[in-house]
Amino acid sequence: MSENVFITEERIEGDDDGPLAGRTVAVKDNISTAGVRTTCGSRMLEEYVPPYDATVVSRLKDAGATIVGKTNMDEFGMGSTTETSSFGPTDNPAAPGRVPGGSSGGSAAAVAAGEADLALGSDTGGSIRCPAAFCGVVGIKPTYGLVSRYGLVAYGNSLEQIGPFANSVEDAAQLLDVIAGDDEHDATTREPPRGSDGRTGDARETREPQLENGASYADAATGDVDGLQIGVPTELLEGADEGVVETFWDAIADLEDRGAEYHEVSLPSVEHAVEAYYVIAMSEASSNLARFDGVRYGHDADAEGNWNETFAQAREEGFGDEVKRRILLGTYALSAGYHDKYYKKAQDARAWVKQDFDEALEEADVLASPTMPVPPFERGKSLEDPLQMYLADANTVPVNLADLPAISVPAGETDGLPVGLQLVGPAFGEERLIRAASALE
Amino acid sequence: MTAQTVQQGDLVTVIGLEVHVQLETDTKIFCGCSTERTDEPNENVCPVCLGLPGALPVLNEAAVEAAVKIGKAIDADIPEETRFHRKNYYYPDLPKNFQITQYDEPICADGELEISVEGDRRTVTVERAHLEEDPGSLQHVGGGGGIDSAEYTLVDYNRAGTPLMEIVTAPDFRSPAEVRAFLAELEEVLEYLGVFDAERDGSLRIDANLSIIPAEEIDGEDTAEIGAEALAAANRTEVKNISSHKGAQKALAYEETRQKNAIQRGRAVEQETRHWDESRGITVSMRSKEEEKDYRYFEEADLPPLRVSGWKEEIAIPELPTARRERFEDEYGLSDEAASKLTSTKQVADFYEDVAGEYDPDLAATWVADNLLGELNYRDMEITAIEGRLEEVTRLVELVATDEITAKNARETVLRSMLDDGRTPDEVVAEEGLGKTGEDEVKRAVVEAVEENPDAVADYESGDDGAINFLVGQVMQKTGGSADPGDVNQLLRAELED
Repeated sequence: MSENVFITEERIEGDDDGPLAGRTVAVKDNISTAGVRTTCGSRMLEEYVPPYDATVVSRLKDAGATIVGKTNMDEFGMGSTTETSSFGPTDNPAAPGRVPGGSSGGSAAAVAAGEADLALGSDTGGSIRCPAAFCGVVGIKPTYGLVSRYGLVAYGNSLEQIGPFANSVEDAAQLLDVIAGDDEHDATTREPPRGSDGRTGDARETREPQLENGASYADAATGDVDGLQIGVPTELLEGADEGVVETFWDAIADLEDRGAEYHEVSLPSVEHAVEAYYVIAMSEASSNLARFDGVRYGHDADAEGNWNETFAQAREEGFGDEVKRRILLGTYALSAGYHDKYYKKAQDARAWVKQDFDEALEEADVLASPTMPVPPFERGKSLEDPLQMYLADANTVPVNLADLPAISVPAGETDGLPVGLQLVGPAFGEERLIRAASALE
Repeated sequence: MTAQTVQQGDLVTVIGLEVHVQLETDTKIFCGCSTERTDEPNENVCPVCLGLPGALPVLNEAAVEAAVKIGKAIDADIPEETRFHRKNYYYPDLPKNFQITQYDEPICADGELEISVEGDRRTVTVERAHLEEDPGSLQHVGGGGGIDSAEYTLVDYNRAGTPLMEIVTAPDFRSPAEVRAFLAELEEVLEYLGVFDAERDGSLRIDANLSIIPAEEIDGEDTAEIGAEALAAANRTEVKNISSHKGAQKALAYEETRQKNAIQRGRAVEQETRHWDESRGITVSMRSKEEEKDYRYFEEADLPPLRVSGWKEEIAIPELPTARRERFEDEYGLSDEAASKLTSTKQVADFYEDVAGEYDPDLAATWVADNLLGELNYRDMEITAIEGRLEEVTRLVELVATDEITAKNARETVLRSMLDDGRTPDEVVAEEGLGKTGEDEVKRAVVEAVEENPDAVADYESGDDGAINFLVGQVMQKTGGSADPGDVNQLLRAELED
């Protein structure tokens, strides 16, 4: 296919019936599928076939979904363009010649191109929301702990969540209904909150039920925003592309027409969020990716020499440049003498970001911003300047630092290019986000 | 602490330990795989303990419970909640190339263990004890047999993920003998707690740091008061690959002598890691000029902190060896030596209490502490080897207590034969004809002996008390040795008085 959406096309049939019977789902290639290779977009895992299913994959099968393939992605999730994949770039079906965003670019493109009804991605610092915005589809990054990570090949394990893509908010919510919930294989998961409408606070401390018994996330896609208080963090509009900002305000005006109100809020800590995010994500990555040494699975360099040289050779050959850069920087940030200066400081900044969000969400039901400050990049441009690529994550990474849920929903176009609007809610406030986002459809 | 006084020119040995203990749980610390030993490599493995991409650890609370028991036994501080860190380093036996362990908040801190060395009681400080996962095991094949010299190396992940407790002591030891006493006591406590199986190969692994400090560097006269500065100034060696208390004493005695010799000859002791070669009985240099390792510790986000503040109260531990020893002395009137022997393992102590509950505690002590343990020790056996036959030993004590056989026969014939040929006491007694001769038969033999030996009787009556021994011998001969010599003696005297 022209867009290079899949790394591996393979039909995996689920149960005969269930809420997703008859629906096709594309799965990001960092989510383990038993018997079907799971490459993470890396040469390192080109031939790796997991012996087990990720929890979300088991749940898809139980729900009757048909998996149609494993989608292209930035290598190990490290990128915002899907161009660091060792299986070649993916084109943007909504803006040909442009990147689909990343790192879950293949999943967003699969939905945008109609290759699958639904898709799963993972979001460590925006990897669901960025490609959703760039491809003009809906993407949800759940609260940390709502969806099991068992079987998701870790990049930044304290930050990431698996989440859905779809062409409508309701469809995305329906997929979230299937994958959400406590898992005995992931000690960080929580029972999906059933009850009221969400609450501010640390996701990891929140245990109160929030969705009403029997209610589903899909049921929340009512488009009812009457009385909704929207906070707009001014910091997340600064430096954004003019056309993007214009499209954003048009969308806010639409919500106002339907009974919502907005006010500006401030998140002073977010100016440090990108630095903090990259220090934490890279530090965790340097440890999470240490296991790829060619001994039990993955690229075997077939090198002569002692074990140390063999490990080094496997990693030299198996990893791409961006992955090596992040492993090196992460190793540095955790090293004795630098740990306090980088890693510890980043953790302090993370706590500050969380606090800012909590405070802003005390005065607003949701926070709104452009998902990405820019429209989709032209292909081939971003790899030249990694720092510019990192800065494009300014609006998405703070949400991961705060463990909060967020949704990206199409807000319109600028110069014919898709623009996404991001809504951020309190911990386990997915229902509220789904209700608000559905008003923009 | 010992309060030995030291002289100028003396060299004082300072030793600290890091003891790795495998905790006895049914399943591994972060997955549901069995910890059962198996000969088939890589049999008890799953995505988690193989470190497959995407697998996540889930904490086995049984390991935490075992750690809390240890903490209570050594009177350690147990924090409100316990959390885990990653220790990052590359090694072929480490599935994830990091080890999940504990760092700044260990499950146990600042505990102590009382030991007895040559009759002196001492207290050793346990600075910390923390939980971690065991790596896999390596088998080097061909070539030089080491990791860098073998033709190839095989990895077995059966061991990977076995729960470990690393117990770190203060540098409180002043001799290898003290180290041995500590390890023996520690093992005893762990076995009492039911968290450790000493007979499992590799269940106890010891790293020891040893330095030699000139006496004049010591503040005051007490060798216990070694300042941190003096300790830091001395080069120390870390001795690895020690796997038993006996081994620890041998390895450290070797290392102590090696360092003292170097110092006395004016040579510097190098700061290095040395490997204890058990078969050759020496330590050999592994790495010298050791670089400070940087493990890049950071929090393991996949394991949320576990609140254990209430566990210390909720978890009960059994009576520990020291308390039990003291109770044995009080309750059964035993000597310190007998009480120590009888509390050396929980099984021995439990067995003693069973026997002492039914028969005379002194007789029970003689039988369990001296006869049984003595004969077992002679055969290099542990009480666990006859675990299923303890009732037979009780039966043997009963035969003695009820005077059905003599103590001598019970010990020298029945017990030995039980251990050597596996016969039951009743079988041995019946087959060897050891049943005590009936009283009438003994009496008859006494009368006969008196009648047949008028000379001896005359000697006895004229005041030669030694003559009675000759008569006892005659009676024993007639009864084939199955009569009790004490009884015979009394019966003879009674007969001669008439």
